[in-house]
Amino acid sequence: MSGTAGLVIPCKAAVAWEAGKPLVMERVEVAPPQAMEVRMKVKYTSLCHTDLYFWEAKGQNPLFPRIFGHEAAGVVESVGEGVSDVAVGDHVLPVFTGECGECSHCQSEESNMCDLLRINTERGVMLSDGKSRFSIDGSPINHFLGTSTFSEYTVVHAGCLVKINPLAPMDKVCVLSCGISTGLGATLNVAKPKQGSSVAIFGLGAVGLAAAEGARIAGASRIIGVDLNPNRFEEAKKFGVNEFVNPKDHDRPVQQVIAEMTNGGVDRSVECTGNINAMVSAFECVHDGWGVAVLVGVPNKDAVFMTKPINLLNERTLKGTFFGNYKPRSDLPSVVDMYMNKKLEVDKFITHRVPFSDINKAFDLMVKGEGLRCIISMEE
Amino acid sequence: MASTTGQVIRCKAAVSWEAGKPLVMEEVEVAPPQAMEVRIKVLFTSLCHTDVYFWEAKGQTPLFPRIFGHEASGIVESVGEGVKELQPGDHVLPVFTGECKECRHCKSEESNMCDLLRINTDRGVMLNDNRSRFSINGKPIYHFLGTSTFSEYTVVHVGCVAKINPAAPLDKVCVLSCGISTGLGATLNVAKPKPGQSVAIFGLGAVGLAAAEGARMSGASRIIGIDLNPNRFDEAKKFGVTEFVNPKDHSKPIQEVIAEMTDGGVDRSVECTGNINAMISAFECVHDGWGVAVLVGVPNKDDAFKTHPMNLLNERTLKGTFFGNFKPRTDIPGVVEKYMNKELELEKFITHELPFSEINKAFDYMLQGAGLRCIIHMGE
Repeated sequence: MSGTAGLVIPCKAAVAWEAGKPLVMERVEVAPPQAMEVRMKVKYTSLCHTDLYFWEAKGQNPLFPRIFGHEAAGVVESVGEGVSDVAVGDHVLPVFTGECGECSHCQSEESNMCDLLRINTERGVMLSDGKSRFSIDGSPINHFLGTSTFSEYTVVHAGCLVKINPLAPMDKVCVLSCGISTGLGATLNVAKPKQGSSVAIFGLGAVGLAAAEGARIAGASRIIGVDLNPNRFEEAKKFGVNEFVNPKDHDRPVQQVIAEMTNGGVDRSVECTGNINAMVSAFECVHDGWGVAVLVGVPNKDAVFMTKPINLLNERTLKGTFFGNYKPRSDLPSVVDMYMNKKLEVDKFITHRVPFSDINKAFDLMVKGEGLRCIISMEE
Repeated sequence: MASTTGQVIRCKAAVSWEAGKPLVMEEVEVAPPQAMEVRIKVLFTSLCHTDVYFWEAKGQTPLFPRIFGHEASGIVESVGEGVKELQPGDHVLPVFTGECKECRHCKSEESNMCDLLRINTDRGVMLNDNRSRFSINGKPIYHFLGTSTFSEYTVVHVGCVAKINPAAPLDKVCVLSCGISTGLGATLNVAKPKPGQSVAIFGLGAVGLAAAEGARMSGASRIIGIDLNPNRFDEAKKFGVTEFVNPKDHSKPIQEVIAEMTDGGVDRSVECTGNINAMISAFECVHDGWGVAVLVGVPNKDDAFKTHPMNLLNERTLKGTFFGNFKPRTDIPGVVEKYMNKELELEKFITHELPFSEINKAFDYMLQGAGLRCIIHMGE
């Protein structure tokens, strides 16, 4: 691997030329990493809803051509000047949000919203020089979320790279670099249910199921899954969900239904849909006196969260989370360890697998709402 | 005192016959305490805004004639059947919200909203038999908040009585049975600022100043007081307030002003006005990543709390509190101790003193917005 250090690497990448159109396998040139950057060989990547959302680019500033992908695992190929935390050959997860270690957020115990490297959906270039490391015949291709993992090689800021246990199977732990950690952390780090408590999870997609998994790990006695799609209920049982509520089955607000099931409200709720009404319901369904609601799903720009002030004055707590409040570099290695010591089950999230050449199948599956996570294997 | 046990006591009470009209000093009969009740000789009482609000009875179901008053200190005269925790001679603070110690709220570590004895503004009788213990010539006079301390003697549920250090000066600690503890607890128990952090306090009345006092005790480095009345600023310095912002002095929203002063937002905010816009500002002025806003002031029934969901998803926390989250029987004695060991200063809250016969002057002071707390001496 060190033979390519300092050189441009030609390799395959799945390039999105136009919003909503199938990705095209192209030969791209990947420039070497500059200062504080790392070039890595991607081994496995998976599709997350956020890739889909920005690929569809409805009503946003479209930035094309672009290399999507932000959930992945790989190996460091070479490092730029000043990089000391990772070395060639290290097993790593690139993350769409970073940790510089120096700003007030990184220094705070609680926050993971790094001033320098926090998620930026609009930027298509590297911070160091405002340019892309990808090109085709000299024409730049935009980065995505600073990761761009739908490429055999990518260049990432060192602050966005997590060094993990080299024994961890990369075709499993790649899913930990976004959605699953988001849901898991929402429960373990933010909602923090106590042993024997009740938890309501709104939305039983991958993020919601990861939140349920967190509730299962925390020893919650009742994990109530709320979803409009009854087909999701069976699958959700594997993740600890033991009761189900479909708002469509009731004519009164779902928060009332939940309050009735739980003697006044659940102890914790985690909202993983981004639907604004679900967000308000998730807050209003927790018990007064001690209930905590955690919002995860991202709503539309124009959404307004509205509730009666008495719902706060009677001692409910409302929180929101970003990436499960995990500081990427500091905390993700321990999430990988949780998997390695079998506390956290990841395999059940992986429902499909395709070779890199068939990456568009992963998009089809997600658009149809099928499955949870599809692993894209870069070397097949 | 023992000679009155089991007997009706004739004494003076300031009775409110009509909404908004001066109280009239009457001779009332106070029946002995029934099961789980306590009869208290009130020594000192103070006026709190909630008394004035229900005395004015604008747009509520008025309940007259009534004996108001809920901030007080006294001595137990006699106890009813089943009361083991208190005996004649104990120094006590009656509290407008109680602690049965058996319901889920009382058993929870966090909540102080007792299922049985939580605040009830509509009830004018005792729970045991749905009757009043006060009468004039056989006609019942309604209780208020289960306390009715504008009377030389009152009858209170044992769950609403905090037993305190007999060495504590009752003419000072009477103010701890409502407003000051509410503000203090909002900061100490709920906002919990760390030493060196910044805190914004909205509303510099007694409750807000108590919240500021809590911030001072916590070692906050900046305590920013927000009020529309610049006359309050000077007084507020005694309570630790270090900086002042008057929203009237700025054309941009107050949360923007505060964010500019504090490099992105304060670490904690405590809202003590009940004005819905101030409540929203108090939330939006805390720093993303780690900021916590605590709502204390009670708004109008029809107000709606609205914010953009992003403000939650970027890791701000929104909480509300009731009575500072203090459990009355379990926690208030400890607050008295903080005063006794000089951690907490109370004298600065007491700006006026009156004999019981002049109680209506206390209402005048409050309506004029003069002073903080007026102590009414019952023996005079």
